[in-house]
Amino acid sequence: MNNSVITMILVCSAVTLLPRILPYFASSYLSRLPKFIRKCMMLLPVSALGALIFPLALTDFGSEWYAGLLGVASAFIASYFKLPMIVSILIALAVTSCAIIFI
Amino acid sequence: MVNDIKTGIKDGLPIFLGYFTTALAFGLLTRTSGLTFVEGVLVSITNYAGSGQFLMMNLYNAGTFLLGIALSVFFINSRYIFMAASLATKLENPRSIPGRIMVGFGTTDEVFAVASFKGEKVSYAYMAGLIFTSYAGWVGGTACGYIAGSFLPDVIQKSAVITIYAMFASLLGGEASKLAKVLLIALISAVMNSFLILTAGVATGESFLISLLVSTVAGAFIYTDKEAGLE
Repeated sequence: MNNSVITMILVCSAVTLLPRILPYFASSYLSRLPKFIRKCMMLLPVSALGALIFPLALTDFGSEWYAGLLGVASAFIASYFKLPMIVSILIALAVTSCAIIFI
Repeated sequence: MVNDIKTGIKDGLPIFLGYFTTALAFGLLTRTSGLTFVEGVLVSITNYAGSGQFLMMNLYNAGTFLLGIALSVFFINSRYIFMAASLATKLENPRSIPGRIMVGFGTTDEVFAVASFKGEKVSYAYMAGLIFTSYAGWVGGTACGYIAGSFLPDVIQKSAVITIYAMFASLLGGEASKLAKVLLIALISAVMNSFLILTAGVATGESFLISLLVSTVAGAFIYTDKEAGLE
């Protein structure tokens, strides 16, 4: 065991977990925030989705970026037409694999 | 309660698959960086954060000082402050101390996204199933990656990358079928994030945080209070 590595791991754990855990202990304070801020809190998940998908869903595939795009598009369409999430993901897996193999 | 745990595990399976395959690469990276097996797995056990851990190892390999590593990792993780504050409003029993620590520990991008779109309120039993399944994928993948490297065939390893993005796209599709305005907000954050990363050369963590905040404020003007779920 290398002490400086262990120290680094634990320090990084602290700066990762504190931002995640502390807000849950501020919830009574959060509910007293102005209405506009509370509205933003409600919309955060929706706005996160766009940036969670793009551009990384394309750049993660490098020169085969179209495989990522086709996968994401097929999952979106499948769920838009009310297919269960697991089915959408399986469709996306199939579409992406085919795109990598055949295109 | 048992049903909630089961639903959580079921919803966590796509995350498990995505995390496991990503963590294989992380486990391998810890080995090539000279960490022992225990140290490598300990990173995933105690941090449980994708981008933060990769950043930590990159800076470690570059010989960065501890303070520099800590500040960079904190910065890339600062988005969780907003995600946790948002998810905190959805907990069924917001007073439980162990419950809040458990949910806080497990608030990754993917867990946050799935739990946020799960009905009005979420129980700790549901969150436990969701978080445990995802965590098992992340820690298990790290251990396997350290020992065996990326042992999956290239095409499987590559296509598995789509799992998490397909999950996000699927959440977006479900929301869009209820209210098309969702797409406008998602478009703002997607275009902004793509521009900042691809054209402006902003680092992924900073870019995500900026795009998240700008599109959220824009969304607050686009949505009525009722559409946003505010009384």
